[in-house]
Order: sequence, then C-alpha cells, then structure tokens
Amino acid sequence: MIPNAFANYQTENFFDEMFQQSDNLKAFDYYQSIYERIGNLSENEFEQKKKQADSSFLEHGVTFTVYGDEKGTERIFPFDLIPRVIPDTEWQKVEQGLRQRILALNLFLNDVYHGKKIISDGVIPEEVVNTSAHYRKEMVGFDVPQDIYIHVCGSDLIRDENGKYLVLEDNARCPSGASYLLENREIMKKTFPRTYQKMSVRSVEEYPELLLRSLEYLSPRKSQKPVCVLLTPGVYNSAYFEHTFLARQMGIEIVEGKDLIAIDGFVYMRTTQGLVQVDVIYRRLDDEFLDPLFFNKESLLGVSGLMDAYLKGNVSLANGIGTGVVDDKVTYAYVPEMIRYYLGQEPVLEQVPTYLCWRDQDRKFVLNNLSELVVKSANESGGYGMLIGNVSTQNERDEFATRIKECPRDYIAQPIISLSRHPTFCPEGVQGRHVDLRPFILYGDDIEIVPGGLTRVALEKDSLVVNSSQGGGSKDTWVLST
Amino acid sequence: MLSRVADNLYWMSRYVERAEGVTRLVEVNRDTDLEFNTNENRRDYWQSALSAMCAVNDFANDEFHDHELFILFSKNWSSSVLTCINMARENARMVRDQLSEEIWVELNNLYLFMNSPSISEKFNSDPENFFRRTIRFSLVFQGLTDATIHHDEGWRFMSLGRYLERSDQTSRVLDTLTLLGEEPSRLDLIGALRSCSALSAYRRQYQGALSLRNVADFLLFSRDFPRSLRFAVSRIDTLLHEISGVPSGNFSNEAERLTGSALAQLNFSGIESLLADGLHESIDQLQRKLIEVGQSIFETYVLLPFEIKNADVAPMVQRQMQQQ
Repeated sequence: MIPNAFANYQTENFFDEMFQQSDNLKAFDYYQSIYERIGNLSENEFEQKKKQADSSFLEHGVTFTVYGDEKGTERIFPFDLIPRVIPDTEWQKVEQGLRQRILALNLFLNDVYHGKKIISDGVIPEEVVNTSAHYRKEMVGFDVPQDIYIHVCGSDLIRDENGKYLVLEDNARCPSGASYLLENREIMKKTFPRTYQKMSVRSVEEYPELLLRSLEYLSPRKSQKPVCVLLTPGVYNSAYFEHTFLARQMGIEIVEGKDLIAIDGFVYMRTTQGLVQVDVIYRRLDDEFLDPLFFNKESLLGVSGLMDAYLKGNVSLANGIGTGVVDDKVTYAYVPEMIRYYLGQEPVLEQVPTYLCWRDQDRKFVLNNLSELVVKSANESGGYGMLIGNVSTQNERDEFATRIKECPRDYIAQPIISLSRHPTFCPEGVQGRHVDLRPFILYGDDIEIVPGGLTRVALEKDSLVVNSSQGGGSKDTWVLST
Repeated sequence: MLSRVADNLYWMSRYVERAEGVTRLVEVNRDTDLEFNTNENRRDYWQSALSAMCAVNDFANDEFHDHELFILFSKNWSSSVLTCINMARENARMVRDQLSEEIWVELNNLYLFMNSPSISEKFNSDPENFFRRTIRFSLVFQGLTDATIHHDEGWRFMSLGRYLERSDQTSRVLDTLTLLGEEPSRLDLIGALRSCSALSAYRRQYQGALSLRNVADFLLFSRDFPRSLRFAVSRIDTLLHEISGVPSGNFSNEAERLTGSALAQLNFSGIESLLADGLHESIDQLQRKLIEVGQSIFETYVLLPFEIKNADVAPMVQRQMQQQ
C-alpha cells in the first residue's frame, strides 16, 4: 500500500530520483527507509517539522540577501525536508568523474597561462581562449603556488531522462553553497535522527577542516603556522552568511578589503595590536574587484597592492586569478577534449552537447531551432541571461536571435534536458520537482570531495531553473556508505 | 584581533546598552507624564526628554507625530530603539564569528520582533510587555556576553562600549535635572533614578526624603552601583589598561590619560565641590571628556598611525557616534 504522503504522487514521464519507472509507485531500495518515514507522516506532522526547520534557519540567520530589493531583505534559502539519496556505487562513479575533471581543468589553466600547447596542438582554437571574458593576460607566465589554480570548484550536475549524470557547468571562481550543505545536514539530523542513522549516511562535517587544509597548503611561509583569512565583499553580499559561517568553522578571520593593507609587496591585516602578515587569502570576491590598482579602479571592496604581493609570491589566493576562463560556456564545450588531451582518458562523466554560436554551422542550426533549445550567455551565472526555447515567446526568441547575430561568441545553445525530478513538499502536497546537484571539490595536496553536495530544487512546477536567485530551494543530499 | 572587529564589537554593545537606556526613559516618562497631567503643574515632559537626547529637530521632521512612537520606532532618528537594535545587529552580523550562537539568536530574535510589520500596534496594545521584553533582552545579552564567550580582547571592547554608553546615559539623565529651570520636584528625582534603574539602590543608601544633592551624589560618586558614573569610568579605566597591558596609573594613549584624569576627579573630589563649581558645568565637562575617550579609542585601536595624520578622523568616528 502506498503511504499517505505519496498517495497522489505522479512521476509523469520524468526520471524520478525516488521512484522506479513502472506503473505502480515503487521506491528504489536505497530510498526505502526515508520513503516509509516520510510517507507515514500526517500532513500536520510534516507541516510542524517544516515550520521548526524554517524558524531555526531564520533564527540562526541562515539567510541570503536578495539583490534589487532596496531594503536589503534577507530571506532564508527555501529548504525541502525530503532528502535526496545517492547510493554508494553511483556516488563513486560521480566522484571519479569530478576528480578527473578538476585535474584536467587545472592542467588546462596552467597551459593557457604558460605554453598554450593545447592551442598549438590544434585541440582548442586560440580565439576561444583569448576572447574569453575572464581570461587574464597578466597571469601569462606566472607560476601559481603549487601549480593549482582551482582550489574550490563547484561543478553542477544534472541527470537526464534515463538518470544519466551530466555535467552542466563548472564554477571555478567563487562557488557558493557549501554552508547550506552543512546547515541542511544539521537540520536533517535533528528532524529524522533515527532514519538518518539507520540508512548509514556518510558525513559531510569535515568540509571546513578540509578546506582549511587545502588553504594552508598554499602558504608561502613554510616555517610557521600559516595565517589564512577569508576575504568577503561585506555584509551586503548575498553570500555573506556563508562567509561568516565558513570563517567561523575554520577558525580564521573574516576580513573585508579595508581590513587589509599591502605594503612593499606584503599583505597585512590591521589588528588592535598592529599589523599581522597574511599568507593565504580565501577570497570570495571576483578577480575584477580584488585590487583597484590592477583591475576595476572603482572597486572599493579590494586591497590596493594586493596583486603586486600576489605576483611577488608573498601571498597566495584561492582560487587563483584567471580561473574564470573555464567557467566560460564556450570553454566548457571543450572539456571532454581536455580530458583526453591532458590525461589520455575518456571522460567518466558526460556533459551536455553544446552548440557554439560562433561556428557558422552551429549558429545556423541554433537560429533555426530556437524553440527546442536552451540558449545561454557564455559568461553569466545564477540563471540570468538564458532563453528556454520551449517556454519562450516569439518576442523573446527574436530578441535572442538578434543578440546571437550581434555577438555570436557570447552565446551557446544546448538541447533542453528534462532534469530528473524529486518528491518535494509543495503547498499542494508532495509533488515532483526538478533538481540538480552541486558537489564541492577541494584541491590541495590531494583532491577531496565531501560525499554528495548541495541538491538544488526548482520549487515552481515544471521550472528547470534551480538557482536561489530565481526561486530555487535546496535539499540535503544523503550519500549512503554501503 | 582585527581593528574593525574591535570596532564592531564595541558599537554592537554600545547600541544594545543605548536601546535599554532609551527604553527605560520612555517607560519612566510615560509614568511621570501621567502624574503631571493630573497635577495642576503641567509641564511638557516629552519635550525635555527629547532635548536631553538632542532629538528635537529629528522629531519635528519625522513621520511619527507621537512622542513615544518616535523615540521607539523612528526609522530616521539614529537613537530610536528600533535604530539601535538594527545597528547592533548590523554590527553583530559583521562579527558573527566572534559571538556565541546564543548571543546571536537573542539579538536576532529581538531584531525580528522590532521589525515585524505591526510592531507599533503590538506596542500600543501592551506597552508593558514591550518594555519588559526590550530591557530583558539587554540584560540577557549582558549575561550571555559574560557567560558564553572568552573574556579576551573582544570581550573587553564590548565591555568598553557598554560602560561608555552607560556613563553617557547617566550623565545625560542627571544633566536634565540641572536644565529644568527650576528646582527638580520629587517626581523628577524619582524619574531620574528610575531611568538609571537606581531607585531601590538609592533608597538603601539614603533613607527618607529625596534631594538633588543626594541623587547627584549617588549617580555620580557611588563606588559600587553599576550605573554610577564613577563605577563606569573605573571599569573603563581597568579595561583600557587590560587591553594595552600598561599598568594602571600610567598611560600609553590619550584614551587612558583622559579616563585616568576623569577617574581621579570622581575618586577624589566630592559632591560639595561639584556643586560649588556648578553641577551643570561639571557634568558637561565630564561628558565631553568621555566623548573624547571614545574618539581616542578609535584612533588608538582602529586607525593606523599615518591615517590619523592624513585623514579627517571626525567623520569616521561620527559614522557611528551619532547621538553625541
């Protein structure tokens, strides 16, 4: 018998994370315990638990700031209590694929800022790199500490209609969300303690420690305990909660630009007892804002002289400068080639087929098939600058067509993937909603990935956009240990 | 510790203390106003409260035309209880890593309460509850500060903020008594003591009739009452020396020197000599000294030496020190 909460549940024609594709609703074995636990809650009990979770988030200030809202309103990141479960074997493959990917991405960055062999060998055209919005020519020839560019990477994964994992994009600049992953877990352990234990879920609480270790690994001063700091744009940044959260968990100072000062090629923080030299900066600030002498002269968030100290090797930055090249969705299209080229391996994780509008043939195809494609701006994130063909109006399609013709380099297109769905608590009861997965990959003296990641869910029915800025929420992700 | 963090901690606790003081003032004034309105001697009590807080102009231009609602909930006046709580939380958000979870949750809860949509209706329907909740929050905040975090440098900056604010409030309350233009009545004196939460403490020391001399003596010179000026200044003196590591009786910066001199005056003069010099003038002088202490703390611990020479410090300090 189908328990209460799922009585009216429909998988429709989507791949469902919890339910097998069959005529009767049947949960996958690895979901069984949580399926029964949640299924047998009455609506009231569920509401009750949800209220508790929400008020706990609000009380503890686990919030993000909504831009464009003049009051600077803080909202809680909507949280869904039904966890996503990933069995061990499935996760192992994902993990393997992510390791391979971050290795290749780092080798690629090292290459484009040094010999550009991948270009001279004809694997990637030179203009792809040179015209990338986040390519930093100042970095050419500079050896980054430990040859690592991306220390923290958030690669977004989706699953297609057959449940196959695909990489959707890489976030190699300042990926956020790790704090929600940790907070979600705290809430879930309180909400379903016995089920959590019974299912032997792998723990994620090690993340801050691993992050700190990969930061310390970069320190230019080996003789003493490294001084690491987290550099935040400040209290009005949408991810400010995350910044304080991680700094507190790591036990390091959270600093704003005005707390740091660069003197003669070294960076110091201003303390009540005088200046203290800083070794490693985990910066949650984009390249452009880091140093007004070097990049954006208007930036008040950065530190004048920081880049000088960085290029002299006296302070390390995580992530390195210029990693945005791999966030470019045109570069993304070449990642499978990179993996083959640098590692001599086949990619473990596939990715979404991508049409590059600067190629004449691709552009023609894209313009003729706008209503069946997703068009994305190559350098936007957060779900902005996107056209989803099948739900767009003729006007929107015309507008994108014009933009594509004007700047073909800035646009790519992909087939519309019907993302997998997951049972989610909605005002109308439990219903299927589309999800993705953002794991966090740390690259220090070793590559570390805490099991799972942040599962983001598009709360609006049929929506494919999971970003928090666009009405997305999140779920805890349970990777099982057996 | 980071200079900015020290600054944030200092202002966070200053604003909490200010919110408590302003709330008490409204609570007391409500009472006094009631009494006066039934008396033939009608005085505009709210007006003198506003002028003591330098808020007459702000009130004239505010969207609230009711005195109480203005003092409690004005969004534009820098020392309304609402602004104080918002500012305290703003400062706290910047240093959350320094605070215990309990401190944050208490502060954030009061913030959510203060900013809830119908707060002025909630206040009107049950003012007692509002006063109790706000004052109790401040006391819980102090308790948590003492009981749940390291008593390290950050804690000392928080305590500094609290005692500087308290000394400012006590001297302000006392000063209103000298500005009445007439001999303060019994109700005025009781109001002043209650504003400093000092009525029962005072009665234990001076039984019988209230007098301006005794009230001033108590609020200025009591060695043991935690809201007297002498008590607060002596705490500030100790904290400053703990922060710098310089033995008491010496000084290594302007803040220590000024505090030491104010403390000497409070320790070794007495109410008679103050009355002889003029109560208002003496209080005014002490008050100005304490404002300078606040400014020197900022210059010593937040700015770098070359910035003091180069920059105009005043606007940076005033960014937060609006009431003064």
